[in-house]
Amino acid sequence: MPPGKRRKTEETADLRLQSQLCEEERFWDLMRRMARENRTAVLSFILIVLVVLASLLAPVLTPYDENGMDLMHRLSPPSQDHLLGTDEGGRDELTRLLYGARVSLLIGVVPALLSLILGSALGVIAGYRGGLADAVIMRAADVTLAFPSMLLAMVIMYSLGGGIVNVFLTLTLVNWANVARVVRSRTLALKSSEFVEAARVIGVPEGRIMRRHILPNCLPTLLVLFTLNIPASILTESSLSFLGLGIQPPNASWGLMINTGRQYLYSAPWLCFAPGAAIMLIVLAFNFLGNGLLDVLDPRQRKQ
Amino acid sequence: MKRILALLLTVALLPCFPAFADSAEPGLLRTAVLYDISTMDVTETTDDYLIPMNVFDRLFETRPAGGSSEIVKSLVTDYSVSEDGLTYDFTLRGGVVFSNGSALTASDVQYSFERLLKAARENTEIPLEIVGGEAVMNGEADVLEGFRVTDDTHFSVTLASPNAGFLAELSAPAMSIVDAETMADVKAFGKEPADTVGTGPYRVTEWVSNDHYTLVYNEKYWGAEPSVKKLIVKTIPDAMSQNLMFQNGELDIIDLQSQDSAVVASTYKADPSARIVSTPNVGMIYLIMNENTPWLRDVRVRKAIGMAIDRDQIIQGVFMGDAVKENGVIPNGVWGHNDALEGFAFDPDGARALLREAGCKDGEIRFELSMDSTANTSTQLIYAFISDSLRRIGIEATVVSYDHSSWLAKRSSGEMDSFVARWGMDYNDPANIMYTFFGSAESTKARSINYSDADVIARVAAARAIADDAARMSEYQALEKKLIADDAAWIPFCVGLHLWCLGDRVESFTPQWAGFADFYAADVVLR
Amino acid sequence: MRRSIAQRFLQALIVLVGVVLLTFVMLRVVPGNPIETMMGEHADAATVARMTAELGLDQPMHRQFLRYLSSALRGDFGTSYSLGKPVSLLLKSAFRNTLYLALFAALFAWILGVACGLVCAVSKNRLPDRLFLGFSLLGISLPVFMAAMFLQYVLAFKLKWFPISGTDSWRGFVLPAAALGWNSAGQVAQMTRTSLLETLQEDYIETARAKGLGRFGVLVRHALRNAMLPVLTLMAIQFSGLLSGAVITETVFSINGVGRLMVQAISGRDIPLLQGTSLLATSVVILGSLLADCLYSVLDPRIRKEG
Repeated sequence: MPPGKRRKTEETADLRLQSQLCEEERFWDLMRRMARENRTAVLSFILIVLVVLASLLAPVLTPYDENGMDLMHRLSPPSQDHLLGTDEGGRDELTRLLYGARVSLLIGVVPALLSLILGSALGVIAGYRGGLADAVIMRAADVTLAFPSMLLAMVIMYSLGGGIVNVFLTLTLVNWANVARVVRSRTLALKSSEFVEAARVIGVPEGRIMRRHILPNCLPTLLVLFTLNIPASILTESSLSFLGLGIQPPNASWGLMINTGRQYLYSAPWLCFAPGAAIMLIVLAFNFLGNGLLDVLDPRQRKQ
Repeated sequence: MKRILALLLTVALLPCFPAFADSAEPGLLRTAVLYDISTMDVTETTDDYLIPMNVFDRLFETRPAGGSSEIVKSLVTDYSVSEDGLTYDFTLRGGVVFSNGSALTASDVQYSFERLLKAARENTEIPLEIVGGEAVMNGEADVLEGFRVTDDTHFSVTLASPNAGFLAELSAPAMSIVDAETMADVKAFGKEPADTVGTGPYRVTEWVSNDHYTLVYNEKYWGAEPSVKKLIVKTIPDAMSQNLMFQNGELDIIDLQSQDSAVVASTYKADPSARIVSTPNVGMIYLIMNENTPWLRDVRVRKAIGMAIDRDQIIQGVFMGDAVKENGVIPNGVWGHNDALEGFAFDPDGARALLREAGCKDGEIRFELSMDSTANTSTQLIYAFISDSLRRIGIEATVVSYDHSSWLAKRSSGEMDSFVARWGMDYNDPANIMYTFFGSAESTKARSINYSDADVIARVAAARAIADDAARMSEYQALEKKLIADDAAWIPFCVGLHLWCLGDRVESFTPQWAGFADFYAADVVLR
Repeated sequence: MRRSIAQRFLQALIVLVGVVLLTFVMLRVVPGNPIETMMGEHADAATVARMTAELGLDQPMHRQFLRYLSSALRGDFGTSYSLGKPVSLLLKSAFRNTLYLALFAALFAWILGVACGLVCAVSKNRLPDRLFLGFSLLGISLPVFMAAMFLQYVLAFKLKWFPISGTDSWRGFVLPAAALGWNSAGQVAQMTRTSLLETLQEDYIETARAKGLGRFGVLVRHALRNAMLPVLTLMAIQFSGLLSGAVITETVFSINGVGRLMVQAISGRDIPLLQGTSLLATSVVILGSLLADCLYSVLDPRIRKEG
């Protein structure tokens, strides 16, 4: 086949594909529908945006230094100067909460994104190639899933040591298997679909089929997975930090703040309640948003 | 509809649910610790002393006496010291038997000393002072040359060089006496309760790792019968739970060292009915810096660090006033403590000037404050406070937390930049702290991370042999001045008071004199 | 059907070996000699060398792995560095507590979840439904440690109904189990609601109703029974989640369980203990999902026919 002609057929295949894809316009249509029908999801989205803004604007919003200690004013109750009181080192709790939001949100988003990339790459390979690649990848996923997620995270944190980058890696390694499973089953379904058959018949290389034809079709599912993985990561990190195995001081994440605040539950309950409420709200918001997306993007899976 | 009614009725009746009442049998004392012990054997630990103290006896005991302490005879009824201060003759208490019925003899004492050396792990320092100790530890000799058994109740010990603090050292938990005959039969001494047999007032009946262990009164004990007949020590790693358990009557005595002083102040001290018992926590909280690290080897930088930290804030803020300022090496409550010393005065401007004099710019000095992750809240706060204080004079000191064993390994490698720790005195003699930290090139590597003045090290080692107590103390005090005022070898902070709170079932409690946290259950009187 | 179960069994075995391999490799890529770490400040070269040889740590990795595998099969997981006792002994006393905790929690989640789901389904889209649905979402989003701390503070400390800590009697398990089951209860409730609503639309329900059975009778006798299948599978999956949460509840309530043993192993850099605990936990999960699969194929007539 002369190169010019090959190029041409491939383009036709791409054209045919596009008609089946969830196009950009249709995507925004769906989003508008969600905004109209699902008020909780909209409210959740607004809340998330507000938290992100507040954490970014922390230096403007608060006059205090995140790590500035004042041993003479430890555990002081909420007052006009300190809206949420001070912690065990005399640091302003609200300030810590705002800076902690940066860490906690980052820990939600980065591993969710990384596990999405890793999981979908492996999932699409397993689904499309089949055979040995499929067996190896899926057994690896089974092994990962056989671990209760918290225990796996603990074992990995042990090998890597504490700190934020290692928390990213750990949560990625914990979450990839689920993504890979979902993407694999989508790939299996798509593989036998007409347009992929067509692309294969006209000789489009494997890698290109996976990248251009299969993955884009998984995008709605992936978006939902991404949104739901964020609160899961935040919860796992907060549990790890609660055990003292996650973020290391003086960095503050919400989970770590609860860990240190816990021994003052009796004398300074606000040290637990403030970050606890923050975790709950943000997790709830992401869950609502994720479920809202699931409803409009992938109603079939929602029913299952 | 009937079902709904039943449901409503259940909900309405819930508040009448009988309150949980933990019934404690008479003679039972319940307490909690944050970490489980790893062994009951003193050849393997310098931390877990609660069982050795209560299950074994020593030749002498250190007992509290008006703020300080005295050495009293325990398994020994009589002793004499030779004129050169080298040989000690002892008479053993007659009729003492171990909890399994085996009789105590002089050869058991010899066996106990030799065992520490043959195990060659922890607590070898004291028996090493005896003639031939080194040879037994190296495996070159089987028998301790300086230990002579005359008959079942008489023996003598010869030291390689005179040590005026030797009797005090014999009262350390490390010098617990075990039974030679029993040890030949049992497999798991120190691990298995039934195998761990002593002459003390209690015997161990149960040890469930990570959960609890139980001591009961040893009916064959030679001394007076204690008021506490049974002691249950629960492992409760969570300070808050200990606090709640004590307040709910699930514990009879709480060691308030597990709690932040701020909690003690707001929860316990604020309650007029709380019965708090306190004793000086004989020891020292200090910051030590590695003299092999760039910048920290400059004495001006070390002094500047000392001047940048406001110790009054630590005492008033971290310990809420429940602490005594320390200015030297020999702590309050120890023989030879010097009241006249003045430590580093808080002076951040002076500190900055010193740093400029040493030729360093803002932010140029960076080092690591290595923290043991098992450090309690007060110590963690002190770390954070030091880091914050040094930032204010332009030094970047980052707190890095290591798990306990990694921290120990890093420290003994001599490569740690700096750390904060608390040294608790094992017995009442300044050698316990001076010699351990500054007495030999080997121990300075880990303890005072590479303190470098060889002359001072030699003088500290020699001071132990000065027979005249007054002369020995004045030599120690001179060395102390040199170490702190001239060399800034460490920055002494303070030492906290050790507080306990007594529950309703406890009548009284006399805490023992020591720097370690454990107590004698026989010192508790129940109602 | 027998063949598919055998296949499933083989698969589980492969996964188990994979788990051993994974933990084995992961724990050995940690820098530093574990013996030196374990001995702390008293590590002299001779002792380290002797103990390294004793534990076989100087042999090639594959040899070490086979050695570990074979002694693990005989129930020997080595001796814990930090607690100084055989790992198998420590696991035995800890596993009992964790098992009770997880079973109680599962029971709690199942009863509460099914009850809530039932109420929701019956009053679909009315106030009770909305209320319970919100409640179950709260359950899903509430971190386990918050639930545990809250229950401990209110029910044990303030009201004194239960002990703060302790496993001496069943009372000590109530609060930890409730805290642990809270999350799953929310998910069970949602699942029960969805599958009940679906079943209620099926033909045979109409028939039953036409035959004159009361609303409640139809619900319990027909709909609930058939709706339980997906809920049962969910519970099997949840068991793994319960073990994750157990780490937290055991820490808050100071229960000597597998999870807390694992925390202890990590803070003491105790490789044999960490290996033993993770192996035990994963075996339980693998066994659980295997059982769930078998149960499902026995209970679901459609699958039975296919097999």
